[in-house]
Amino acid sequence: MTAATYFEDVEIGDVEVGPAMTLTEAHAALYRGLTSESPDGSGGIPALLPLVLATGLAWRTPRPPLVVLAFMSFDWTIHRELRVGETIHGRARAALKRSMREGGVLIEDHELIDQNGDVAQSGRFVFLVAKRGTARPDPAPTA
Amino acid sequence: MTDVRRYYEEIEVGEQYESPGRTVTETDIVLFAGLSGDYNVLHTDAELMKTSIFGERIAHGLLGLAIQSGLLTRATKAYATVAFVGLRWKFKGPIKIGDTVRLRARVLAKRDDGKPDRGLITLQRTVVNQRDEVVQEGETDELVEKRALA
Repeated sequence: MTAATYFEDVEIGDVEVGPAMTLTEAHAALYRGLTSESPDGSGGIPALLPLVLATGLAWRTPRPPLVVLAFMSFDWTIHRELRVGETIHGRARAALKRSMREGGVLIEDHELIDQNGDVAQSGRFVFLVAKRGTARPDPAPTA
Repeated sequence: MTDVRRYYEEIEVGEQYESPGRTVTETDIVLFAGLSGDYNVLHTDAELMKTSIFGERIAHGLLGLAIQSGLLTRATKAYATVAFVGLRWKFKGPIKIGDTVRLRARVLAKRDDGKPDRGLITLQRTVVNQRDEVVQEGETDELVEKRALA
């Protein structure tokens, strides 16, 4: 059975730090092709691309994957533009939990940190997370 | 070369833009999973998702966000943007394979903090599907150059 992290498993204050990734021209080109944004020709990384990469990096932490039923909302601040060649990693902290009947709301504070240890982007994610034993699309189907 | 970008002074509160539609395909989702590294079963396991409340795979929320970001560039002339500085965003409903989304945007506010070269523009953005259901919405903030310095 695949390991998974449910609402009950998350403790307020838990911190997850993901692996780092170097931002490349290829990332920017693939992203621009997908979204139809035009290249800026100056080595800038599209503003929302680091956020996109951060969601994948967040799956590569020691904690088994969170059983997310829905990504509900987020607030995000871009402190400075990132450039091709810079290296980022993500840091997430469980900030708030609210239990609901069909799962629980989990609020995480996220930071994207550059190669110098400075926060380039940060914000707050709100997820609906499955509880153990409830119906959900999850990484460990029992059937 | 003529600069066709629009400057802070030229943008008016209440301006509205509507983008062309864009059909979200399985290819979009697969490419986005590869780019982001987010292989959550919600987006990648067709069989499991048949048994979910959605009945099928759904697009990553951030794929919808990325697509609307591109759609804005096809809805209006580009702003003379200095920096995209933040957003507040809600995912209201799923985007499924074959859905066609479009962006409706409106200039919600302008804020001049007295900087000689730039001001803040806030856009309200609504992403709707082919049934006119709101699937995502939010506000974005960007710093836009003032004409004076151009």
